[in-house]
Amino acid sequence: MAQRDYYDIDDILAGQERVPCLLRVDLDGLGTAGSGTSKVQRNQRWALPYWMGERLDTEGFIEMSTPAVFSKRANRMYAASATSMQLRAVSPHYYKFGLQLADIVPGLPAVLRSMYMERVQKIAQISQQGQNVEGLEFVQSLDRTETLVLQKCQAAQGAIAEWQHGAAYKLNKAGVF
Amino acid sequence: MSITHRQQEGFTLPELEFLAQSEPITIVPLYRMERIELVGGPIGPFRPPQKTSVPLWLAVQLKQASRCRIVAPNWLSADHLQKLVRKEEQPYSRFTRLPTHYLEIAHILLTCAEDDLIEPQNIRRLLQDLREVRQGKVRQGLALLNPLQLQMDNLSAAEVNEIRPVFRHSFDMLRQLEALERAATAQQHETQPMEDMADDPFNSSSFYPSM
Repeated sequence: MAQRDYYDIDDILAGQERVPCLLRVDLDGLGTAGSGTSKVQRNQRWALPYWMGERLDTEGFIEMSTPAVFSKRANRMYAASATSMQLRAVSPHYYKFGLQLADIVPGLPAVLRSMYMERVQKIAQISQQGQNVEGLEFVQSLDRTETLVLQKCQAAQGAIAEWQHGAAYKLNKAGVF
Repeated sequence: MSITHRQQEGFTLPELEFLAQSEPITIVPLYRMERIELVGGPIGPFRPPQKTSVPLWLAVQLKQASRCRIVAPNWLSADHLQKLVRKEEQPYSRFTRLPTHYLEIAHILLTCAEDDLIEPQNIRRLLQDLREVRQGKVRQGLALLNPLQLQMDNLSAAEVNEIRPVFRHSFDMLRQLEALERAATAQQHETQPMEDMADDPFNSSSFYPSM
């Protein structure tokens, strides 16, 4: 079972991502104004957030299927060019969502691992070389987990440089004054 | 706890500098003193111009009060550093041997005892080069990461501190992914009929992490 922290904001946001679901029962009273009736027939496709979909799936009301983000086609595409993927456009919570879905999508952990390892190396490389133009584009395509890693890298680098220039001890006047 | 995020992830560099100051260093005292007993150990006696070994914190204090001259450690010379840089730059080499606190000691000496070092500008430049080459190697080590073990010998304290947040995050991620993979393969083997297991008694894929 994937580790999910109940109070972690990122886990909550990641669980909000949509998952395609197939309705197994007839529902009364949930029809929208546009469809004309108040009944919702079974075997209709809905996109529900994962946290809702998972509960309803265990109760048997719906059947979840793999979202497009982790489909076989998508995984092949990502594996082909891991470092040039625009993960933020795909889903800003790619890794966290993937960790939550790993139970129902077979082979997902391997995909996530190869993506993560390749991209993390590029992140480390960029943060050591300082900002430049191609780096900027890559940085903008990172998802939230990777942005966190980048910030940690840069903070660590910056700390050593700052200390070597003697600025680590400095007390600066706050900008408010 | 009321400490900043940066403090939570490891040492701050001023803290590492403080820890480095208990390393011994050779000085030439400029005044005479009898032996004194401190909690950390005895100091002295000072008989100028004989060299003595004292902890770095005391050397810094005496230097700032102009009561001693510091003898640069033999690894902090332009020649030795040049040799180390050349050795590091060789492909597929391990990290060269350096004192655990070399960055901090070098910083302290370059700040307060510059006149006791030969060619301090050169030393600064070479230290920077050394650091860059080692960082490149650390990045290669990142590529070889697995959730069980990663061995990188001869990394100094400040360098370990620098990579700690990133490696910790990567280790966590890999560990979670591996646990999920192992759960998935265990489930797969449960649903297989028992004859399959009997045919291959050495099928150990469910016991070892699939790499």
